[in-house]
Amino acid sequence: MIVLQLVVNGVLLGGTYILLAQGLNLVFGVMGIVNLAHGSIITVAGLFTYWFVTHTDQSPLWLIPCVFVAMLAVGAVLQRLLLEPLAKLGTRRELLSLMVTFGLSYVIVETALNFFGSQYVSLPNLQETWSVGGLAINEALVAAGVLGALISGCLHVWLHYTPSGKALLATSQNATGAVTCGIDVRRMRGISFAIGSALAGIAGVLLILILPLSAPTADTLTILSFVIVALGGLGDYKGAVYAGLLLGLVQSGVGYYLGGDVEVVVPYLLLITFMVLRPQGLGQAAR
Amino acid sequence: MSASASPSAETDALRVENLVAGFGDLTILHDVSLTVPIGKVTVLLGANGAGKTTLLRAITGLVTPRAGRVTLFGKEIAGQAPHLIARAGIGHVPSGRELFPRMPVSAHLDLGGRLCPPDQRAALRQRVLGLFPEIAERLGQAAGTLSGGEQQMVAIARALMTNPRLLLLDEPSAGLAPKVVLSVFQTLAKLQDQGMSVLLAEQSMTFGLSVANRAHIIREGRIVLSGTPAELTAERSVAQAYLGA
Ligand SMILES: Nc1ncnc2c1ncn2[C@@H]1O[C@H](COP(=O)(O)OP(=O)(O)OP(=O)(O)O)[C@@H](O)[C@H]1O
Ligand SMILES: [Mg+2]
Repeated sequence: MIVLQLVVNGVLLGGTYILLAQGLNLVFGVMGIVNLAHGSIITVAGLFTYWFVTHTDQSPLWLIPCVFVAMLAVGAVLQRLLLEPLAKLGTRRELLSLMVTFGLSYVIVETALNFFGSQYVSLPNLQETWSVGGLAINEALVAAGVLGALISGCLHVWLHYTPSGKALLATSQNATGAVTCGIDVRRMRGISFAIGSALAGIAGVLLILILPLSAPTADTLTILSFVIVALGGLGDYKGAVYAGLLLGLVQSGVGYYLGGDVEVVVPYLLLITFMVLRPQGLGQAAR
Repeated sequence: MSASASPSAETDALRVENLVAGFGDLTILHDVSLTVPIGKVTVLLGANGAGKTTLLRAITGLVTPRAGRVTLFGKEIAGQAPHLIARAGIGHVPSGRELFPRMPVSAHLDLGGRLCPPDQRAALRQRVLGLFPEIAERLGQAAGTLSGGEQQMVAIARALMTNPRLLLLDEPSAGLAPKVVLSVFQTLAKLQDQGMSVLLAEQSMTFGLSVANRAHIIREGRIVLSGTPAELTAERSVAQAYLGA
C-alpha cells in the first residue's frame, strides 16, 4: 500500500514538475538560450499568490488566468527590450544572454526581497486530505499536479494541432527551415519568451500550494527546471514530460525511504547519471 | 495573342546585380551578377567553399547583402527579411536540408503550404506527392528517421508546397548515392517541364550540366565563366580548372 501511495504522490508531484520545466524548455528550444530568470519568475508568482490569498481570502486558483495574461505581457516586453537586441550578435549572443537573464534574475529576486521579505511562506489553503481506498490524497497535491499536467497538455495541443503552435515547434527544431516556410522567426522568439514566462508564472501559483517558497528559492527552481529539461533532452517537449514524472516518482520514493536530505540531491544525481548513460535525453528513448 | 511582347515583359525570374556579401569583416561574394530565365533550370557550379551557399543565402535574405540588387520577377527584394522573401515567392531548399527532425513528413508539407493560397493547397499537395511517391508512403514518419535521399525529397517537397515562382536548390545531391542523385535530377527535369524556374547550386559539372539550360561557374566569390551547357562542355578543360578539378 505504501508503494501505491508513493507512486500517487510521485505522479502528482511530477505533474507540477512538468509545468515547471516547459517554460524554460520553450525558451531554450526557440531562442537557444537558458533563461536564468526562470526560477525567479516562478518564485515571485508564488510569493504574489501568497500575498494575494492572505490579503483577499480568495482561492489561489483564481490567479491562474490573471497571472498567465499578465506574465504573457511582461515576458513579451522583457524579450523585446533585453533579449531581442542580442539576437543579431551571432555566437556572442549565448554568453551575453546568460549574463542578461542572470542580471534579470538578480533584479527580480532583490525586488521580491524588498516586497515580501526573505522568510519562507506557504499557503494554508487546500489542506484537506481525502481518504480514497486506503490512500491519503492531499488536496493541494492533487490541485497542483492535475492542473500542472492539464496546462502542460494544453501546451502540447497548441504546439501540435494549431498553425501558430506548429510554427513555433518548427522554429524550435530548425529555425532556418522555418524561415524558408515564411515563418517570422523573430516573432516566434517573442512568443516563446512570453509563453515561457506565463507558464513559469502559473507554475509559481501551483508550487506555493505544495512547497514553502521564499525569494532566495529562485535559483534552486531554475536549476531544478533545467535538470528536468536536460533529462528530457534539451528542447524536447515530450521528453520533459517523462523527465518530470520520473523525477517526481524518484523523489517521492527516495524522500520516504532515505529521508529529505537525500531527496533534495535526487535531481542532480539523476542528471549526472543520465548525462553519462543517455546524453540525448529520455525523449528519444520512448520513440 | 499579341504579336510581340511588351518591352517591359519580364524574361527573368531572378536578376542578381553586383551583389556583395560576407560575414563580419570577411567579404565572400564580390560583385556577383547572374540571371535565372523564367521556366528554365540555371546551374551555379563551384568547388567547395566557392560561395554557392552564401550566394543562395544572400538571395533569400539569410545573409544580408552589403551592396547590389536582387530582383525577383521585376521586384527588388535585397535587404528584406528572409521570411518576407520566402513569402514573395522563393522556395529555398537549403544546404543540409534543414528539416524539422522530430516532426512528421506531413507537417513539413503543411508548414510549406502555409504560403500557398488555401484553395489551392490540396491540389498542390497532390501534385507534390505525385513527384515523390517515396515520401507519400511515409507521411507519418519523423523526418529525422528518413534516409538521406528521402530527407532531400522532403526538403524539396516542403519548398514546392510554398507554391514558389522560383526554386533555389543548394546541392541536393550532397551525400546521396548515385542512383538517388539520378532520381532527384529526374524530378528537376519534370519541374522544368512544368515551367518552374530553378537555380541549382552544384559541385559536379556532369550532374549540373545534365539538367541545366545555362550555367555559371563561381570561384572565390566571383562568377568566372557563364554559358550554355554546350559552350561549357566545349571549354571543358577551362571549366574544370575553375572547378578545381
Ligand atoms: N558563417 C560563416 N562565417 C564565416 N565564413 C563563412 C561562413 N559561412 C561560410 N563561410 C565561408 O565562406 C566561403 C564560401 O562558403 P560557402 O558555404 O558559400 O561555399 P559553397 O560553395 O557553398 O561550398 P560547399 O560546396 O562546400 O557547400 C567559405 O570560405 C566559407 O569558409
Ligand atoms: Mg554550400
